[in-house]
Amino acid sequence: MAARRRPAGRARGGEGIQALRPARARLIPALAATVAAAAVAGYTLGLGGRYGALAAALAAVGLLVLIFGLVRRAHGAVPWAVTLVGAGYVLALGGRDTVDGWAAVVGGALLLTAELAIWSIEHDDRVYEEAAVLQRRIAALAGLVAGALLLGMLVVSAAAFSGATGIVVATAGVAAAVLAVAIVLRLVRTT
Amino acid sequence: MTRSARPKLGAYAGLSGFGLLAGLVVARPEIVALTAPFLLALGVGLALAERPRLTLRLEQDSYRALEGEEVDLRLRVEAGAPVDRLDVYVRLPDGLEVARGHDPITVRLARGERRDIELTLLARRWGGHVVGPVHVRARDPLGLLSWEATYDAREPLRVYPREAQLRRMLRPRETQVFAGNEVARRKGEGIEFADIRPFAHGDLVRRVNWRASARRNELWVNEAHPERNVDVILFLDSFAEARLGGEGTLDLAVRATATLANEYIGRRDRVGLIAFGGILRWLLPGMGTLQRYRILDALLDTEIVLSYYWKEIDVIPRRTLPPSALVIALTPLLDERSVGALLDLRARGFDLAVIDVSPVPFTRRPRAGSLDELAYRIWELRRDALRARYERAGVAVAEWRRGDDLQVALEEVRAFRRYARHARV
Repeated sequence: MAARRRPAGRARGGEGIQALRPARARLIPALAATVAAAAVAGYTLGLGGRYGALAAALAAVGLLVLIFGLVRRAHGAVPWAVTLVGAGYVLALGGRDTVDGWAAVVGGALLLTAELAIWSIEHDDRVYEEAAVLQRRIAALAGLVAGALLLGMLVVSAAAFSGATGIVVATAGVAAAVLAVAIVLRLVRTT
Repeated sequence: MTRSARPKLGAYAGLSGFGLLAGLVVARPEIVALTAPFLLALGVGLALAERPRLTLRLEQDSYRALEGEEVDLRLRVEAGAPVDRLDVYVRLPDGLEVARGHDPITVRLARGERRDIELTLLARRWGGHVVGPVHVRARDPLGLLSWEATYDAREPLRVYPREAQLRRMLRPRETQVFAGNEVARRKGEGIEFADIRPFAHGDLVRRVNWRASARRNELWVNEAHPERNVDVILFLDSFAEARLGGEGTLDLAVRATATLANEYIGRRDRVGLIAFGGILRWLLPGMGTLQRYRILDALLDTEIVLSYYWKEIDVIPRRTLPPSALVIALTPLLDERSVGALLDLRARGFDLAVIDVSPVPFTRRPRAGSLDELAYRIWELRRDALRARYERAGVAVAEWRRGDDLQVALEEVRAFRRYARHARV
């Protein structure tokens, strides 16, 4: 005798938790990435400066490249978009003698843009993600951005104290700090 | 496991290198501040990346199912090293689909953790299916590297066609010598009254028809038709099929063949099978449950195999087609070879009935007024002409369409056979 067919389960979600629709799961990180990049572009526009118009144009082009990459799911567009938006910001700083204190936040925002854009591009509707995986991913992203902010602030404050001549030292310091963090994490992971 | 770099790794490495260099050239600390996050992501990501060590095992609660039934499948994954994102995909054949559970799925495994991924499979189509292999892809926490592997974990699942209920079967012209459920045309020991005849020495007294004897003033005895079994050969045409939307004429033909085999074997008849197609398969006539399962197992392996080789009826072993057997052909009448072979069978005097598993529901009628529509109509007319050709040869043909009851087609064949003359052509 044939067993009676049981009612089909949901395609997504848990017992009582309604999961995000597949399209929305891709749309949210894409929108967040665009917002983060737009914030940097807006800040660039606000800086004005000698090359204000050119800087704003660069940032706008970067934003467009990002949107194109998100729509077409083009991985290759993301680094170009980040570079263009970052280049716009650096160009807007042209002619200023002081170090911009918000540079660390801009760096964090650019990292967030890249991470969220790649998240959106790599999202596959066909693959079901467990809630634990999603939570872990969000936590990892938050931790990474927090660490990036901390490192950026360290660089900015070090450069503010030592002046433009301390760039080499700051660069070496960043590399050393990253290396130290990597070694510690590796040791923690293997034990 | 094969390790590969994700596009993110190249992008971040490029951004970091370019940024640090630009910072040194332009001498602006802000550029270093912009670059530092990407360098940090790169360093942290690579530091946390660890080659996954996985053990996978596939378990199934049943290896046999009927069409429409559900089978539980369990994939046991054990991680020797932590895996933050593990995509698991169990490859399913066309006839199976996921009723409950998720495939593919992304899970997270801690070091030494063992996880059971449960899937409920719905058997959509008959066949000898193999579940697996299992494809996995592991990624480090920041998605810079990925490891991919295919585990050769496979489980067989035989899905048997769901059989319909038939009220009345086709009667062959001739019966065999063994006892069965079919009333033979000849006279002998049986229950069904046939005729009366004068008493002869050796006749049993209980066979005397006293009423007839009293009227004729001599002893007359009753004659009866014996109950005998029959030989039925199911001829399955697997040269070609029409297919649309995951279902085709072969699916219907196999279900009908399984139904007929089941019903005839249930009546103690001998049933044989000929799958006439690119690959020729046959089963000598036999009876009983064992033969039923032999036929079902042979049907599961039936598939359309493209072949240009011209096969005639001579390729079928002689013992497969016993004389006076009823041959029931299930064919979409699409391939000239099977059409010719059936006519050849009829010409050799076999008792033949054809159930035309209509390919029409598996085609899309072209737009009205177009040249394609004209071709389509000609094709339909040629099919009608082909059926008429069979009928002229004394072969009963009934068109059986998807959604129709098989019994309707059988009744149509019965009606034709009742009045058809048997003649050699």
